Amino acid sequence: MAASTSESDLNTQVPSSNEADQPQIQAIRMPSMEEIRAQEVWNNCAVRSVASGVMGGGLGFMMGMFLGALDNPMMQEQMSGRQQLIYNLKQMGTRSWSSAKTFAVMGVVFSAVECVVEKARAKHDTTNTVVAGCVTGGTMSAKAGPKAACVGCVGFAAFSVAIEKFFDRHT
Amino acid sequence: MEPVEMFLLPFLLVLAESLNPNRGKSCKVPMAAPNISAGIDKEQAFGMAETEMEYRVELFNRLGQTCFNKCVDKRYKEAELNMGENSCIDRCVSKYWQVNSMIGQMLSAGGQPPI
Repeated sequence: MAASTSESDLNTQVPSSNEADQPQIQAIRMPSMEEIRAQEVWNNCAVRSVASGVMGGGLGFMMGMFLGALDNPMMQEQMSGRQQLIYNLKQMGTRSWSSAKTFAVMGVVFSAVECVVEKARAKHDTTNTVVAGCVTGGTMSAKAGPKAACVGCVGFAAFSVAIEKFFDRHT
Repeated sequence: MEPVEMFLLPFLLVLAESLNPNRGKSCKVPMAAPNISAGIDKEQAFGMAETEMEYRVELFNRLGQTCFNKCVDKRYKEAELNMGENSCIDRCVSKYWQVNSMIGQMLSAGGQPPI
């Protein structure tokens, strides 16, 4: 009897919690055309590479400014404080600009190659990262000869795979 | 039909019509050739429509299942489709639809499939 009364108590409790649960469950919603188009923008290789280039440029700018601020002038004792400041600012400006250009080119090339390779293969793999890293490293070191290009290819590919594995660690 | 299929009905119809390569051409329905006589009554029309609807729903379900199993990795790392999966699904759906319409035409044109 005690068991049956406790069971009937549970039965009277359950419908109220169901009624509280019901409005929270929502039906599956298909995406509208605007949502599909908004997602399709990021599937475009040009858009992705330009965005990646802009981000790379920003990162290079920050890094160049930081490293340029640490640079000490050669003739430190003979310059006044104001001259040192102007020198420092000039150093920061030139270094950040050149670093921003380098990183922007790196970002554009890497992102464009990875996007094109992934679209062609129709697979999401680390092979895309390896190929993109190799091409980026190769083009950046191409001026120093073919051997340097090979070393740059391998090195940058390894680096980009390491970075990707690091960012995917929480899965 | 399941409530899910009823819900998918308008999307399914739009999808079928947009992907149909025979849109605008003479209507080649890839199923058994219906008897289109002048005095077709409501019962027969409803029956045909229901059969067609069931066929379409089955096609949609199978298409979705096949291309999902082929293209999407079972370890889900993120909620959105990445680019590789997107192009894989585009190609899979296109090929499936093309094969389906080709076979439907072959079956509806000749009485027996050529062996």
